[in-house]
Parts: sequence; C-alpha cells; structure tokens
Amino acid sequence: MSINQSILWQVRHFVYNHFADTTLPPSIEDTAAYFNISNEQASAFYKKLHSRHALFLEPETPAIRMANPFSGIPTDFKVNVNGKTYYANCAWDMFGIPAALHSDAIIEAVCKESNEVVRLELKNGSIVQAAVPGEDASSSLLVHFPLPFSHWYDDLVFT
Amino acid sequence: MLLFRSEEWIDKWCKRNNLERGEILTIQQVWELSKLWYQDRLSVDYHGRSIEKVAEIFKQAGLTSAFWHVAY
Repeated sequence: MSINQSILWQVRHFVYNHFADTTLPPSIEDTAAYFNISNEQASAFYKKLHSRHALFLEPETPAIRMANPFSGIPTDFKVNVNGKTYYANCAWDMFGIPAALHSDAIIEAVCKESNEVVRLELKNGSIVQAAVPGEDASSSLLVHFPLPFSHWYDDLVFT
Repeated sequence: MLLFRSEEWIDKWCKRNNLERGEILTIQQVWELSKLWYQDRLSVDYHGRSIEKVAEIFKQAGLTSAFWHVAY
C-alpha cells in the first residue's frame, strides 16, 4: 500500500492532539473515522509512523503504546496538567509532557529501587519544588540514562 | 530512563540488574533537555528531526560526552 506522506504527518498530528485532549491514544477506529479511511489504511499509517520512530506500537498490534512523551498505558510517572492526568513513558518524558504542552504541571513519580514517591511542581518554565514526604529533594533527584543515544531505539521499552 | 533518589540507589539498581552505569543527569538538566526536545512536538509542522538537529539539541543542553554521540 502506498503511503500519502501529507496524510501520514496529519495522522501523527492527530495522534498527538488526541493524547493532549484526552490523555489517551486514538484507536485505529478513531483515526479511520477522523480521516474517512479504512481501518486497514489507518493501520498502515500507524505502522509507517512506527517505522519512522514517530510513535511506538505494541508488538503485533496497531495499538499505540507510546507517542513520546505520552504513554498509552499507566506508568510510574503521572503528570497532572490543567486538570488532566497523563502518563509519561519515563523520567525524561515526565518533563516532556509539560514541555510539549507548554504548561505548568504537578508530577508524581516513583523513585526506582527506593520506591519513594516524589512530587515535583513546574511553574512558569521552572522546577519550583521537588519533594518526597517530609523533605526537599530538589538537589538530589537524578535521572539515569542506561543506554547511549546510539542504542535508544534498539529496545524502546527498556530505554 | 528512570528516576532515582541518589547515586547510591542507581548503583544498587545497576548491580541488581547486572548493568553498567549509564549517564546520570540532575532533574534540572533533564528539564532543560526536555524543553529543547519536546517544545515543538505538538506542532503540525513537526515531521521528525534530522540527526544534525539531535546533535544540536544535545550540544545546547551541554551533553557533549561520547555517551551522547550522534553518528552522521
């Protein structure tokens, strides 16, 4: 099936707008209905966008697992923006959601290994608070990037 | 990319998972990187980015070690 490049990127934009508006990815049926195309055509667009790393599908299905920074499934990185609760894919993407939405945010995230829940507040483009219950953690919270950039797309779920 | 309370917890996690340490950034560094990386993601004009643009973003964020090397 040949892919119309103009529609391809419109589909990408539709997926991102759907995430932004609803916090969830659109189904194949949602996308097919919006563009007045068949489910098979919508699936082909999803697969092409997956191959371009523009979104990430669940294995062997056309279900969207990630459109970075948004996650299609609940995670340890919960991002509250303008009364909506989004899930981010990782500790980087939890900052990516307010960056993409150009909004303030309250983030609730779980620290790996210690299992502490941390609350971060972003306001007017800055981190104004980062705390675990009872203490300020602004200066000590860290993000670990396990793989160099050249290997990020080898296994995106692990990355 | 996972969030940790301290380097000690990162070392414990790496040991338990039999992995080498990767690169460690502060949350402030990751926030600055996120703004550069994601600020245009919802734009209708965003059609992915070139490898040159990726390299430029890492440089702007001060990430210049071999870990962030982008192959042209």
